[in-house]
Amino acid sequence: MRKPRGAPAISLLMAVLALAYIYPLILVAINSLKTFAQIMENVMAFPSQLRWENFANAFTLMRYPNLFLNTLIVTCMGTAGVVLLASLAGFKLSRTKTRISWLIFLLCVAPMMIPFHSFMIALVKVAKTLHLTNSIWGLGVVYWGLGVPLSLFMYHGFAKTVPTELDDCAAIDGARPLRAFFQVTFPLLQPVTVSVIVINAMWMWNDFLLPLLILSGSKKSQTLQLAAYNFFGLYKIEWQNAMAGVLLTVMPAIIFYLILQRHIIKGMVAGAVKG
Amino acid sequence: MKRYLLVAAFVVLGAALVAGQGKTIKVFFYSPELTDQYNEMAKEYQAETGNTLDITVNQPDYRTLLAAKFNSGDIPDVFMSSAYSDNVNYQDYVYDLTNEDFVKQLEPTALLGVTVNGHITGYPFLVQSHSFIYNKQVFADAGITTLPRTVGEYDAVARKLQAKGIQPFATGYKEWWVLPQTAWQVLAPIKDSFGGDYANFVDKLNSGALKFKDIKEMSTVFDVLDLIKKYGGPKPMESDFNDQCSLLATGKAGMIHQGNWAEDSILKTNPSAMIGFLPGPVGNSAAKAGIMFDSNQTIRIAKDGANRQAALDWLRWLTTSPYGKAWIPDKIKQMSPIIGAKAPAAQLAQATAGMLKAKVPSYPWYYQRFPAGTEQALGIILQGYCAGQTTREQTLDALDASYTKIMNASK
Amino acid sequence: MTPGRRRARRARWLEFLWMTAPAVIVILLFVEIPFVMSVTYSFTKWNGLNRAVRFIGLANYKELLTNDPSFVSAMIFTLLFAVLTVAAINVFALLLAVILDMKIRGKNVLRAAFYIPNIISLIVIGYVWRFIFSRGFDSLGSLTHLGIFQLSWLGDTHLTFVSVVLVSVWQSIGFYMVIYIAGLQTVPRELVEAAVIDGTRPVSRFFRVTLPLIMPSVTVAVFYSVSNALKTFDVIFSLTFGGPGTATTSIALDIYKTAFSDDRFGYGSAKSVILFLLILVVTVTQLNAFKRREVQA
Repeated sequence: MRKPRGAPAISLLMAVLALAYIYPLILVAINSLKTFAQIMENVMAFPSQLRWENFANAFTLMRYPNLFLNTLIVTCMGTAGVVLLASLAGFKLSRTKTRISWLIFLLCVAPMMIPFHSFMIALVKVAKTLHLTNSIWGLGVVYWGLGVPLSLFMYHGFAKTVPTELDDCAAIDGARPLRAFFQVTFPLLQPVTVSVIVINAMWMWNDFLLPLLILSGSKKSQTLQLAAYNFFGLYKIEWQNAMAGVLLTVMPAIIFYLILQRHIIKGMVAGAVKG
Repeated sequence: MKRYLLVAAFVVLGAALVAGQGKTIKVFFYSPELTDQYNEMAKEYQAETGNTLDITVNQPDYRTLLAAKFNSGDIPDVFMSSAYSDNVNYQDYVYDLTNEDFVKQLEPTALLGVTVNGHITGYPFLVQSHSFIYNKQVFADAGITTLPRTVGEYDAVARKLQAKGIQPFATGYKEWWVLPQTAWQVLAPIKDSFGGDYANFVDKLNSGALKFKDIKEMSTVFDVLDLIKKYGGPKPMESDFNDQCSLLATGKAGMIHQGNWAEDSILKTNPSAMIGFLPGPVGNSAAKAGIMFDSNQTIRIAKDGANRQAALDWLRWLTTSPYGKAWIPDKIKQMSPIIGAKAPAAQLAQATAGMLKAKVPSYPWYYQRFPAGTEQALGIILQGYCAGQTTREQTLDALDASYTKIMNASK
Repeated sequence: MTPGRRRARRARWLEFLWMTAPAVIVILLFVEIPFVMSVTYSFTKWNGLNRAVRFIGLANYKELLTNDPSFVSAMIFTLLFAVLTVAAINVFALLLAVILDMKIRGKNVLRAAFYIPNIISLIVIGYVWRFIFSRGFDSLGSLTHLGIFQLSWLGDTHLTFVSVVLVSVWQSIGFYMVIYIAGLQTVPRELVEAAVIDGTRPVSRFFRVTLPLIMPSVTVAVFYSVSNALKTFDVIFSLTFGGPGTATTSIALDIYKTAFSDDRFGYGSAKSVILFLLILVVTVTQLNAFKRREVQA
């Protein structure tokens, strides 16, 4: 692709815009290095001294290593499950042009229209009945149900970008359907998969309400977000720890996103058809 | 024969070991600012008795979470709630403490809020007070020597502060809960019109015989809300709890309406701040101006909790043991409902004690008797009034409509 | 039908089944069944706590449709809010996706920057923006003497609406940008290059070549943004709690207050059903309209 005219100017403009755009996060960062008193006095001011101990405190109070692992397990399990279930179903429903397929599709997509608060109490009841509460593995399973609708919708739509000839190629080669799907079709859906991974992983990593409902009984199984929220009371907020805690929870997600961004490769579809 | 004795010995030993392990009591509390104190107390309890308190603390969505727990059968042995109307809300789940020996160690006034038809439905946790908190240094610098009591005096004080370039009030109007605590304090002497009995007053409201628009004292309530807003700086509707604490602590505001729970945040912002309570204005009568003093935060034992007896034992320990009795005044630094408990070394607690000694009227938090849900609903309506969305008449009508709706829904 | 064909048909049907069943099962279990349970509560009088649940038929719906001014104002707010945010979000997200898809330096970092607001917890966003609107604007106001900073962005009844839209759009754009970027990856390079060779100007190229090919992304993004806008809760909860008064109360927030503050769980469930029906009608209409315009590769 040719570089657009005026590329450096656009770069600069976007950089400035981006900086202004994340100013609120910069505020969080600035305040994570101040004392409680300094934050209460003036939120906008730069810290006179860099109070790194806030991070050390937050790290210990949040039991960071343990909870990092927990949150990682929930996120990985949840995301992997969603990708698997949504890609299989979304693709298949898109390829099957029958009335039943369309109805099932609507059934799968309907949850996107349902506000979470309206069924969350009943959800806790169901989860408890299935012995999924107070366990990070159980939480991961519940996320499958909540994450599949949007991801399935995306796979369903993007299935159109995979030429139907390829389905037949794989079948003719004699490959079993599962193998055919994962070896031929799935790689072609890579851009969607990356987006689905990003969307689900980011959401599950940073989610608060569902872990609160499912894990609230257990001391051992907590996530990072829950620990970070403990700094926010009604009458008193430990600002310095809260800001540090927020950064500690958000940084892994940002790093993950940056790494994943590089894997979006353009034009894979074109290559497949030609070859 | 010897073999059987050996087995029996092992069984007995095993049972003793297991019994000695102690029970785990599931506790679900709010007020995360007290997490350290909760944990320290739990550690002490375990050292003394071998029983473990498994305490989960949460504030955002506490009520929702508790409802979710009850509904899914994950019942905590001990939980927390407000007093008064919450007695009825949780009635299906609470254990009646009336016949427990340790409740006799609690101040009768503190027990009033949790008693329904002679049954004690909860254990008063903290005794708290709220009114106008003032910065003593700011007042001294502005040359204010007599503390205000009437609406007129508050107006004069505000004007004096304003003239000195200090924002008289940090309103807190962004928080819906500041509105009720401010407004209902102005209405506190209303019991005098109802035979000295708040229950009578609230019953009349509940039955619909009395409406807010019939209460002429409501105009004073609006007057006070207007006054605070007038002298509440350039953006009165944006002031939240943090704003109140930080402005008062740093001397940029002279007065806020809050409770003793704010002291911690204020002193953490400025450890050398000197604060005290002002009697809240109720109109023109200086004698009736007082503070709101009550025990609202309540500990409750679940009737169907798995470890109910262990939970009761813990409460007994909290009430009678040396550590337990000193826990609230020394560690939490607030007032304890236990008879004979010492006063905490906290400025606002001592201010309260001083006022009570000087026979300044102290009113219970009678507005907690209003049906559950009205505190927020009415608070939001009052907030709308302060934002200029409704006139006084419209606000009164809205208060009545909301109260009636919620009342009907709870029947 | 020959036995061979019957076998083939059965094999196809079985394949359909095992590929779609897992997804359907988890969705039923964790969303739809709980929702149906909640719907049954809408026909009851229940405060969410009592053991006793009383069946009252359609009384909740009657009250909702005739005697609830707060629900009506929440609905008006939500519809207005949705129109503004959906338009702003999709236009800007698409714009950003296109710009950040071009060959410019540091685009990965830039993409991350615009996405970050979407992953910060909403409680934090609420507090930070409150600081910015009140204290931050105070400082900016005294520095620049521009009247715009001296207005009460979170206190004035009408301005608060704008603030809420602003923060909501700010928080969401990055998410939809990701969806649009994914869509742009699927546009075959040759088609675009053919248009360049043909001499079509960039803007025209975008509307005639690129846009039709990324219709699947547009469909997903618009569908999801509409549905999210109608469900909007978190941003408002943390920024204004629906205030001042009920000026910025959305339907979802109204439901939350009804069910969990007023303790009217049955009534709140009825409101949820109405909200769901509203979203259903709007989004299915939109879905049908857009699906027709999608183009097969």
